[in-house]
Amino acid sequence: MSDQLSVMQSRQQAPMWLWPMLWGALLLISVMGMPYAEALFRWIEPNARQVIYTRAEFYVLLGRHLLVVGVAAAVTIVVGVLAGIAVTRERGHDFLPLVGQLASLGQTFPPVAVLALAVPVLGFGTLPIMVALMLYGLLPIVRNTLTGLQEVDADIKMASHAMGMTPTQTLRQVELPLAAPVILAGIRTSVTINIATAALGATMGASNLGDPIIAGIVNGNMAYVVQGALTIALLALTVDSLFELLQRKLRSRLSTS
Amino acid sequence: MIELSHVSKRFDTEIAVDDISLRVPKGKFCALVGTSGCGKSTTLRMINRLIEHSGGEIILDGQAIEAYDPVKLRRRIGYVIQHTGLFPHWRVARNIGLVPRLLKWPAAEVQARVEELMGLLGLPVGEFGHKYPHQLSGGQAQRVGVARALAADPDILLMDEPFGALDPITREKLQDELAKLQARMQKTVLFVTHDMDEALKLADHLVVMRDGRIVQQGTPLALLQHPADPFVESLLGGLERGLKQAALTRVRDHMTSMGPTLPAQSRIPADFSLRQALSMMLRDHSDRLTVVDQHDVPIGELTLRRIIKEAQFDRGSSRE
Repeated sequence: MSDQLSVMQSRQQAPMWLWPMLWGALLLISVMGMPYAEALFRWIEPNARQVIYTRAEFYVLLGRHLLVVGVAAAVTIVVGVLAGIAVTRERGHDFLPLVGQLASLGQTFPPVAVLALAVPVLGFGTLPIMVALMLYGLLPIVRNTLTGLQEVDADIKMASHAMGMTPTQTLRQVELPLAAPVILAGIRTSVTINIATAALGATMGASNLGDPIIAGIVNGNMAYVVQGALTIALLALTVDSLFELLQRKLRSRLSTS
Repeated sequence: MIELSHVSKRFDTEIAVDDISLRVPKGKFCALVGTSGCGKSTTLRMINRLIEHSGGEIILDGQAIEAYDPVKLRRRIGYVIQHTGLFPHWRVARNIGLVPRLLKWPAAEVQARVEELMGLLGLPVGEFGHKYPHQLSGGQAQRVGVARALAADPDILLMDEPFGALDPITREKLQDELAKLQARMQKTVLFVTHDMDEALKLADHLVVMRDGRIVQQGTPLALLQHPADPFVESLLGGLERGLKQAALTRVRDHMTSMGPTLPAQSRIPADFSLRQALSMMLRDHSDRLTVVDQHDVPIGELTLRRIIKEAQFDRGSSRE
């Protein structure tokens, strides 16, 4: 109890921006400074002809990685949240189990399999991985939207109807704000997982931070693998800490606890 | 005015409310009393159309409720529930101003109304306006609930066990305040409770429900004098009935003018109840009290014999 308390206090004392800035700075250093770390990577792969991945600049790879994850996230958030809202309305209630199952199915389907199946239809490149990410990222968002909306106290919803709020007013002014922290947690999980999963796209011709990893595996060059993995990890940590920041802001604004 | 005639509600095969008729005249306070699951809350929710009734007619101010748009209807009816249903992410002032804002009142008017109501309910704006509901005690939160229901000055107020979750002391205090508010505002109130004492204390008209039906209705005194069956009698407290009846009768109505003997030592204000008078007699080992007005000036006397006789007289007169 006292431990928890002291952790909470130290968290409150730390400036909110500390972690995102720290991880962001490290990400920036690793993306821009990779060519200067040759000595370090030489130590990992003393015998390789080349130890720094140079087929593309890291910031270009980072940009493409962000684009894939970003587009996939935007689509999943819109689809996932709308689906969650639709099936918790009176009219869409019959579809609630179906949507829940479909979303679960999306995540039980391995992304690699999705890629393999998508390539013949969509061709090589960025599209297959985007589709795979969308399917894979949908579940946490749908599930948390459902949970968040269903957890809103029945008395509060009844009161909002009884006071004469329209269903839309109830949704926008009461249900969504109260469910927001849970929905945001789902988005956070979805995006963070997808940052790592997007690397798989490199196997199907999508150029992103997965490239150095795949190239490293193919050529037996561990230095490449470490460069790709390190950058992806730092990107995931940066984005995750940004979500943490967002959640804390939301929580302090709601301050329902 | 609220008027229900032969109203019923079926949920699939189950009948929750069965052919009930009642009338709450404008400005009157009607209490629906019964054990849980007797259909009293369902009855209340049919009036603001949170639940649609399946048979009979519900008429508000001369018009069947189907004729109203449900959303507009609800904005005209105040509603208070047991667990307040306040929005946890809104501050107190914003919660109270909800209905006026839905009705598109100008911001300044909403603000003024919120301040007025908070003053009326003993919650100074400076201290409470910026608090969140979770920062309030149960009693304070329910005051906010009542203020929210009254915000747009509705003629009709529906209250669903509003004080059921409060501790006895807070509950009694809020009951007293509600009685005062009602004396002043004269709303048409339908009040659901399972607490007979609360109903006896507040209501002009009492409706006892059981298994979706009305067992008996009438003034509190009429029910106390002639409970229709053993169920109503047990709700009214069995042997305690005599005292409850005494609690509804004022000393003023039963005192006699000062006799030739010396005034009694014990004094009782004229607006106290016979129950309080009896209690005072027991406490002071006296069968005689001096009745005083609000300035403590003796205006008459009350004897034990008189109280008992009056009780018999009431029985006789109401049988006629």
